[in-house]
Amino acid sequence: MTGKEISIIHPRPSSIVAALYTLRDLNVDVAILHGPPGCSFKHARLLEEDGIHVVTTALDESGFVFGGHDRLVELINKSVELFNPKAIGVVGTCASMIIGEEMHEAVLEANPDVPVLEVEVHAGYHNNTKGVLFALESALDAGIIDHKEFERQEYLLKKATDVEKKFGAASKEYLAPSRGDVKYKVAKRVLQLLKEGKKGLVIMNAKKETGYMFADITLAVNEVAAALGKKENLINMANIDPSLGLPRVRQHAEYIMRDLKAHGVEMHEIIGGMDEYPVAGEMVSELIKEKYSDFDFAVITGVPHAIPMEHIRNMELISVTNGPRQVLPLKELGHEHVLVEIDLHPKTLGVSEIVESEFGATLREVAKET
Amino acid sequence: MKKQKIIAIYGKGGIGKSSTASNVAAACAEAGKKVMIIGCDPKSDSSITLFGGRRIPTILDLLRDGVNINEEDVVFEGFAGVKCVEAGGPEPGIGCAGRGIIVSIQKLKSISGDLLKEQDLIIYDVPGDIVCGGFVAPVRKGFVNEAYVLTSGEYMPLYAANNICKGLSKIGMPLSGIICNSRNASREEEIVTKFAEEIGSQLMAFIPKRQVVQDCEREGYSVMEKAPESDIADIYRKLGKAILENNNKVTSGSLSDERLRELTN
Repeated sequence: MTGKEISIIHPRPSSIVAALYTLRDLNVDVAILHGPPGCSFKHARLLEEDGIHVVTTALDESGFVFGGHDRLVELINKSVELFNPKAIGVVGTCASMIIGEEMHEAVLEANPDVPVLEVEVHAGYHNNTKGVLFALESALDAGIIDHKEFERQEYLLKKATDVEKKFGAASKEYLAPSRGDVKYKVAKRVLQLLKEGKKGLVIMNAKKETGYMFADITLAVNEVAAALGKKENLINMANIDPSLGLPRVRQHAEYIMRDLKAHGVEMHEIIGGMDEYPVAGEMVSELIKEKYSDFDFAVITGVPHAIPMEHIRNMELISVTNGPRQVLPLKELGHEHVLVEIDLHPKTLGVSEIVESEFGATLREVAKET
Repeated sequence: MKKQKIIAIYGKGGIGKSSTASNVAAACAEAGKKVMIIGCDPKSDSSITLFGGRRIPTILDLLRDGVNINEEDVVFEGFAGVKCVEAGGPEPGIGCAGRGIIVSIQKLKSISGDLLKEQDLIIYDVPGDIVCGGFVAPVRKGFVNEAYVLTSGEYMPLYAANNICKGLSKIGMPLSGIICNSRNASREEEIVTKFAEEIGSQLMAFIPKRQVVQDCEREGYSVMEKAPESDIADIYRKLGKAILENNNKVTSGSLSDERLRELTN
């Protein structure tokens, strides 16, 4: 028996939402939330931008009291009619799971001709990765992923949870959100480093689709360096191996690679797939130890806290995250400049090319001024 | 491979489900079967008479403490080698006992999958009234494949039994038999036999009212342990055997209120 987990008092990512995103990665067309109409509203809305329909059984007080079986059967049938999906997800919520709804029975009764992934999940787990795991288990049962991929994902999820607990937003009982350092000042500092002929690493270690915006920072740093004639002082790394992960995740890697190439950015080191952000840091650390230990600075985007400090401790670190609660832990680790791309995620859903980042845009503008 | 029996015993509160369950479990274990009893009542008293009146730690108590639970923390061997588990649950009026049953059954399946598969007989001792979705979890998530209803020949317990039968057919759970736990009502065996027949089922056993059952329970023991030579111990042995050999399963019918009155009058 081991002890209790720390009790974190800031709101945490939801396992229900995690299940929804996973269903999207599995190319499910329609996700049915079995629960109250407002549950997971914000993300459900955003996910529609990514081509997955999210609908809800909209359980009300009567639904809580009398159950929502019939409603769920109806909605499965209606979803087939409306969207003609190739695969459907049925996702639990706190309310439906507490009252003991058996979603499986509704699925059996509706019996649609397409595979249905049932995810019995609520938001009451310490780690939201539980929602991903449940969705993947369901996909495994339905034969949509094989055992090897399941085990790979399971391992990555465990690592992701570890990283968050050690260095991330789950590392403290309470973390105040912060917008980080002023982008204008940090942009100036990056330009100065480049002008001085300092050698820099540009590392993107991004979680899946968030890479569409973090890659813009790689792009911007390379652009301004090229303008200064210092491009050869940069080494680029990114976790954009297009042969790893679920189909949709591989596609993101392909698109980002395509855009970087089109802009003449050379990718020196591929550090893993776009779902390998929790483990790619180890590879970065090895690479730096072997080849780049004498570099002066590093711009690290995505999940900077997954990169061990051991071999980057002596570099000036400019880190960009999309988590306002990640600022403090990064500062504590020793990252000198920490920037936040606010509202990154909504802007990277439903896109298939690199989108402009605030820091990238600032860097380009500041470069013009000087 | 022989088919595993996973049964649940339903019936009005206080009618004797726990004492029937623990005596039947002990009787079958004595006969050399691998038996497990899973208590799903928040009062967690299903297995108490198999441990000389002691209570065993419950799954939900341990979960609440936030510890990693292993099989040996929640599965205990009671009298005659019966494996005992108590789901546990909140105090009356607090929280959600139904969710508790769901969570504990899922937990048990995840930590004791192999042990559950090994058993010849698993008995779910469930609360008297199936008041919400969670109380059906043993049937739906615990793979109960036979349901028995315990009743006396009095009107109220029969009324409850009739309602339970209605509920069972509603959730698609076949009924395997009716057990009469006598309260010395007049014409009791006749009434319950008739009831069983009219809903399309059968009477598995008539358990006469005996003071020795009460006496043993007061001391914290089952009849099988404390009074193995009594006639009632033999009746439990026969009932155990009958359950193990029973292949009868029907989609239960139910009686109208009028017919039920008629039957008991």
